Amino acid sequence: MITTRSLTKRYGATVALDRVDLAVTRGSVYGLVGPNGAGKTTLLGILSGLRRATDGAVEVGTTRVGVLPDTPLFDDWLTACEVVDLSLRLTTGESNPERVAAMLAETGIADAADRAVGGFSRGMLQRLGVAATLVSRPELVLLDEPCSALDPLGRREVLDLIARLRGDATVVFSSHILADVQEVCDTVGILRRGRLIFEGPLENLLVGKARPQYLVRLRPPIERVVDSLQRVAWIDEVTVVDPERIRVGAADLETLERELTPALATAGARVVSISPDAPSLEDVFLEVIR
Amino acid sequence: MTLWRLEWLRLVRTRRVIGLVGVYLFFGFLGPITARYLEQILSSFGGDLELVVPDPVPADGITQYVGNAAQIGLLVSVGIAAAALAFDAKPQMGVFLRTRVRSVRDIIVPRFVVMAVAVSCSFLLGSIAALYESVVLIGAIPIGWWLVGSLLGALYLVFAVALVAVVAARARSVMLTVVVSIGVLLAMPLIGLAPAIGEWLPSHLIGAVDGLIRDQTPGDYLRAGVVTVFLTAGGLWLAVRGAEQREL
Repeated sequence: MITTRSLTKRYGATVALDRVDLAVTRGSVYGLVGPNGAGKTTLLGILSGLRRATDGAVEVGTTRVGVLPDTPLFDDWLTACEVVDLSLRLTTGESNPERVAAMLAETGIADAADRAVGGFSRGMLQRLGVAATLVSRPELVLLDEPCSALDPLGRREVLDLIARLRGDATVVFSSHILADVQEVCDTVGILRRGRLIFEGPLENLLVGKARPQYLVRLRPPIERVVDSLQRVAWIDEVTVVDPERIRVGAADLETLERELTPALATAGARVVSISPDAPSLEDVFLEVIR
Repeated sequence: MTLWRLEWLRLVRTRRVIGLVGVYLFFGFLGPITARYLEQILSSFGGDLELVVPDPVPADGITQYVGNAAQIGLLVSVGIAAAALAFDAKPQMGVFLRTRVRSVRDIIVPRFVVMAVAVSCSFLLGSIAALYESVVLIGAIPIGWWLVGSLLGALYLVFAVALVAVVAARARSVMLTVVVSIGVLLAMPLIGLAPAIGEWLPSHLIGAVDGLIRDQTPGDYLRAGVVTVFLTAGGLWLAVRGAEQREL
């Protein structure tokens, strides 16, 4: 659906995007992550046609593109219903009150359909932005931080909405909330200082970085337990997370699963809980961008 | 909801249409009264001083109206036009519109046309008010010349809206659009003080209704009229081109 080759964007001497080769497959949900100033918004701007590349090539496989900026704004004297209707009319040329009403309901602002958007909170504006973006059933949806202003309920609804688009539309969304990306994206691109330093399926990113680890919660004091575990030969790493939790890592998962509980008993640990500790996208992200 | 209706709603719901029509109507009604009762008004402020003011002629009412329309009316018109045409001033609004139309021309044309019609109709309404009151209070005015002159004045205001569109396509805020547009529009009459240049400039048209009902002929405004039409069309083209080149 989207291919870029050596995509470069410069603002004077500043390189915002540096030879980015992006490949987004049709029907996928692609998460674009990176620290502030990494070039996410610039990349989305170029993909949506709002900015021009300095160099390189961009191919977008459709003209039906829906774009949602991070803080959507509308004329404050329009009602929510009129905003979504205007969006539908501009993109498809048709008016469809039922579709507009359904979209407002799906984004949880049906009750405010006839209210002027001037009185909307930022979260409501973001929901309205999502409704106005999706109402015309675009083939490509570009979302810049779609959940940044939403409360937990709103975030849940929008993530569900994005997840439901999978297969019907291609979604590219940038987010600082890595848990959101991990939840709904099948492909991830990590941008750092304008360069795409990782692109691929989420599992590849996580599996590549995964090593067998368990998170153990203990009754303090834990120093004696830590000292004892560090002397165990098959344990690679014992990290104190906080005064009540330690992370225990080993090279071999089977040994860890079989031997950890006896090792804790030998160390005289009072165990409250014990659980496998898979790396989150946040852990991997922080490791990759360092 | 279309972009045409959106612009109409912008005028009505923000009550800008009331401000626009109101300012021209106010000066339309005020001008002839000021002209008719100028001597009495000045006397009330002059104390024992004896003032000699020539008897008013019907054209004086129109003169007063045109003077105010060219200043306060123009300022209000430019402000209202800038608020509509500087749609990228809030980039998120620009994104909403730009990513939903095939060409940015689809956004600019309705805004330009609706604003041009609103501003020129407001000027014409004020001119009708000035005509009516001048006839009632002072005397007859040649309707034909008044009509031609008023239309030429309206043409100048259409040019002013096109100028605002050009500036808005490059300026980053509504305020900057207003300041630059007003600066250009005010500079024009100053440049036009040189007679050889003045009769070619669009600003020459704003006084056409006054001139035509006194002693001028349409030929005196022909050059300015033709230049204004071309500048307006060129301005609209420039506005679209400027907006197309802009990155958000």
